[in-house]
Amino acid sequence: MSFPEPLQKLIDEFSRFPGIGPKTAQRLSFFLLSRPREEAAALARAILEAKDKLFFCSLCGCLTEKDPCRYCSDPRRDQKLFCVVQEPRDVLRLEQTGHYHGLYHVLHGALSPLDGLGPEELRLPQLLQRLVEKEAEELIVATNPNVEGDATAAYIASLVKPLNIKVTRIAFGLPVGGDLEYADDLTLSRALEGRREM
Amino acid sequence: MYLASLCLINFRNYVRQEISFNPGINIISGGNAQGKTSLLEAIYCLATSRSFRTLREGEMVRLGCDYFYLQGAFVLREGRFLAEVGYRQPRQLQIKLNGKLHARSVYLQKHPVVIFSPDDLSLIKEGPSVRRRFLDLEASRLRPLYYSRLRDYYRALRQRNQILKEHRGGPLPHHSLIEPWEQAMAKAGSWIVRERLQLLEDLERLAQGHFARLTGGAEEFSLVYHSSIDLGGGRDLDLMESSFKEQLSQGRAAELRKGATLVGPHLDDFFFLINGLDVRRFGSQGQQRSAVLALKMGEADLFNRTGEEKAILLLDDVFSEFDETRRRHLFQFLSEREDQAFITTAVPLPDFKSYRTEGAAFYTVQGGKIKIG
Repeated sequence: MSFPEPLQKLIDEFSRFPGIGPKTAQRLSFFLLSRPREEAAALARAILEAKDKLFFCSLCGCLTEKDPCRYCSDPRRDQKLFCVVQEPRDVLRLEQTGHYHGLYHVLHGALSPLDGLGPEELRLPQLLQRLVEKEAEELIVATNPNVEGDATAAYIASLVKPLNIKVTRIAFGLPVGGDLEYADDLTLSRALEGRREM
Repeated sequence: MYLASLCLINFRNYVRQEISFNPGINIISGGNAQGKTSLLEAIYCLATSRSFRTLREGEMVRLGCDYFYLQGAFVLREGRFLAEVGYRQPRQLQIKLNGKLHARSVYLQKHPVVIFSPDDLSLIKEGPSVRRRFLDLEASRLRPLYYSRLRDYYRALRQRNQILKEHRGGPLPHHSLIEPWEQAMAKAGSWIVRERLQLLEDLERLAQGHFARLTGGAEEFSLVYHSSIDLGGGRDLDLMESSFKEQLSQGRAAELRKGATLVGPHLDDFFFLINGLDVRRFGSQGQQRSAVLALKMGEADLFNRTGEEKAILLLDDVFSEFDETRRRHLFQFLSEREDQAFITTAVPLPDFKSYRTEGAAFYTVQGGKIKIG
């Protein structure tokens, strides 16, 4: 049995989303079809509006409505402190903490020769240029704590240290408020490696 | 730990089967190709989420079907729990514990099973990859961290190999491009080698006792790890790491020509020695069997020593392969412990009566169906 063509097309579109399999794509499609036309139109408008109005900041690479973005154009932010992250959503996450007041740089990925991602694909030349122009004092590397994220961090450190800029790696370890007993081996071993003197 | 009951659906030649087991010894008899080994495979798969016969999960699906499903009720010290393993082509194996999805890495350690099979001889006879797989599986089950480190190591290795392939035949890539992956390999790799050395030392100590009993104590048994990394005899993690890293950066030019990494735990091996000689090359068939049997018994001891739960022992048609001495020692070994055991046999086991058969449960397998008695 096959679906009517417009329905199949909708299912195929949903199936392309990350984390959405064919079953979920069907559920979403049937749900959408069960709702009033106005709701579907609102969804379509929201998708196009987000797509049309948002783009990546030409300086830091985060998602923005204006160029340069609100972080890059805010003179109250610390202009000598940089934080490098893998994805635009990481910027929003760090902003939510309210604890960081420096500038950002988004790589849009991590080094991975297997996926064809080298330094040029990762906006690394732009990072170096910005660090030099702003006479940065510290770069915090907040790439993900996995093989690719760590290798990217090591690579960035090897590029930036010769510029006499302090390079730091964000800390990994125990979730705050949790018990040592319940931490998994991997997290605990990295927390031990990253211990610091008191 | 013991397995109280098992349900198999579309697994190998089983259509649908539910069966309860004895916490002690279970003896399963039947002719060839009736489903004895597949029953052990199902138990092994429930406990480790792997097969001891194949690396391709699809092979465990009954011919003409597109999925298999296994369910087992285990009794542990902390209580009963339900394990489920399901596979549907072409998706990945799914593991559920008490109804909740679990990752393979977490699962591996929990349920110690040890398989004794005529194929164990391949540990001696076949290439290094069989022995590495053995070490990696044992180490992962004893320490889940090993599994994550091993995965990291192979990931970094593949990334480095990709760079070597891309630059093959050309000039060396800039060191800053390749060094981060070497750093990751050295860090994970040295840790892996240290864990393997420790594991092999523990296994050797335990296996030596069994080997002495199997052979009357006339010969000396040892297990020796052979690393492609220059370890300098030490176990210091920092020294191993810097030595490995040094070798990786020294080897770049030669490896660029080959397009592959020529040093590291992915190439390591270990040897069985009797009186200092490599059993693979110089041992008799009998010595090889004794060496492997001693290793597997040591493996069972190791699980019982380090884990919270006692191992389940699976013995796949091993008695027909053994001579009288090995058979007697294996019976002795089984009767000295309280572990649950599953023993398959194509021939009746007359001399078994004198050991632990009061309380043993008997089953017959025929054409993918199990009957009690």
